[in-house]
Amino acid sequence: MTAVSDMNTPRQTLNVGFRPDGLATRLRRRYFRTPANALISLLGMAALLYLAYHALDWAVLKAVWSSPDGTSAVCRDIAGACWAVIQQRWRIIIFGLFPYDEQWRSMLACVVMVVTIVLSCLPWFWKPLRLSILWCAGFIIFYVLMRGGLFGMRAVMPADWGGLTLTVFLYAAGVLIGMPMAIAMALLRRSEMPLVSRMTGALIDGVRSLPLVTILFTAALIFPFVLPDWLQGDKIWRVIIGFALFFAAYQAEIIRSGIQSIPVGQEEAAKALGLSYWQRTGRIMLPQAFRNALPPTINQLVITFKETSLIVIIGFFDILASGNAAYGTGEWSFAYFEVYIFVALVYFVFVFSLSRYGAYLERRMRFGQH
Amino acid sequence: MSEAAIRITGMNKYYGRFQVLRDINLDVGSGERIVICGPSGSGKSTLIRCINRLEEHQQGRIDVLGTELNDDIGNIDHIRRDVGMVFQHFNLFPHLTVLENCTLAPTLARKIPAEEAEATAMTYLERVRIPEQASKFPGQLSGGQQQRVAIARALCMKPKILLFDEPTSALDPEMIKEVLDVMVELASDGMTMLCVTHEMGFARQVADRVIFMDKGEIVEQGRPAELFDNPKNERTRTFLSQVLSH
Repeated sequence: MTAVSDMNTPRQTLNVGFRPDGLATRLRRRYFRTPANALISLLGMAALLYLAYHALDWAVLKAVWSSPDGTSAVCRDIAGACWAVIQQRWRIIIFGLFPYDEQWRSMLACVVMVVTIVLSCLPWFWKPLRLSILWCAGFIIFYVLMRGGLFGMRAVMPADWGGLTLTVFLYAAGVLIGMPMAIAMALLRRSEMPLVSRMTGALIDGVRSLPLVTILFTAALIFPFVLPDWLQGDKIWRVIIGFALFFAAYQAEIIRSGIQSIPVGQEEAAKALGLSYWQRTGRIMLPQAFRNALPPTINQLVITFKETSLIVIIGFFDILASGNAAYGTGEWSFAYFEVYIFVALVYFVFVFSLSRYGAYLERRMRFGQH
Repeated sequence: MSEAAIRITGMNKYYGRFQVLRDINLDVGSGERIVICGPSGSGKSTLIRCINRLEEHQQGRIDVLGTELNDDIGNIDHIRRDVGMVFQHFNLFPHLTVLENCTLAPTLARKIPAEEAEATAMTYLERVRIPEQASKFPGQLSGGQQQRVAIARALCMKPKILLFDEPTSALDPEMIKEVLDVMVELASDGMTMLCVTHEMGFARQVADRVIFMDKGEIVEQGRPAELFDNPKNERTRTFLSQVLSH
């Protein structure tokens, strides 16, 4: 093994003899090549600066950042943004209806969940055992913190969970339950037994034909009538299962497309080596399928994060619904724009991080491809 | 040549209604080196792919290393571990390094400890003269190098039989020799080999027996010297004149 460590890395000699241009040269070439070109560039820049100034003026220069007396009076006669609404009401946005005195628990639980998500993005955790331990620990800590009733913590029912904490929990639980479901559905749909593959196909197509709202509605309100008591569980779990199922139906097709783009020779080579079905699937097919399907998978994960906001229709206060509640008290009702910008910013932080992580994964995996 | 490593009797294979293999009878002795040649579409590849059951036959019987190939799946994986295969398009696993390509099946299917599997893999990578590439990915290697890795990967399972399915057909001319050299060396080790190839020089040099196939049948077989210099069948003669004329 030591003999191989001093190998030269490939593609390293590519840029010999080529010196990239300086910034000034590149700017001149791209934006000021001809007089007309220069004119358009200047006009464009002027327009951008004008807009940027107005946005800055509203959002920063003329903005009010806090309300010392706790009322909306400070924002009465201003031309800028009233960020005081965030300063006053951020707890509702982030924690929803969670009891005020216990909100440190919700905060901690949210941090635990985010840390769990971030840790499982690190390659070191990509071992089945490590991932399972991480997620079990993450969910148990989250659940104990939120649900309470232990260690002298007051019990808080899931119906009172809300805000960012609820959004992150719903997302993490939905994806974590949905991903194995998706893998199972993708594999079953490729089964050689016609009955199995057709039934899975019907399930996937069936779920995909329904709006998410319908599925959540069914899970929350109709299943209690249909299922025996011991199978019902709490509403939040029924909703998470419904959410996971919806995610899984789409993700299953993404994984299947990833499997189908693997050359036939890969499975043949694995068979010829005497690997069993599960060894072939786990070590040859799925790793390659996920690489092939990485861009649409990230896409689906991004969409799913934003779809969590739909649980408001069955009475859960996710971050967007909590935002509505935060300005909806009458006193702050004029400041809805600021609240929405704040909520949008939170979404942006999560989704943009996810996109960047996807780009990192693509770079990382490119090496091991043809 | 002791007992038969492979025994095929009265085997027929169809794709739907189309018959690809007709009444194949073939005994391969342990340690025997066989080259199968014939025009494209003659069923050569299909024949050797039936031996590790990448293709299923419909009639007749195939025995490999004393076990009949049938629908018993556990049976099949067991036999495949003893029957290595090298493909025309290499089929290395692109997401694994060269070394991992070589250690995956021994550790998973044979339950060999990782360290031992790595040591074995390095031995075979040295034999195919490519140990310095062990930590690269297949996509970073040339075709000839990839095919040599594929041979090492097959050898790491310590198979009793090696099947070659046109191993040099997808290679650039200057890389054919490096792969053939490795195969010649293997042949001199007493490995049971079945090789589908158009490399007549290789066949002459190492084969105990050359089999000529056409239209799904074994048309003629014999020692390379006999078959090449004195073919009895008209179809063999036509084929050889086409292959050897350039």
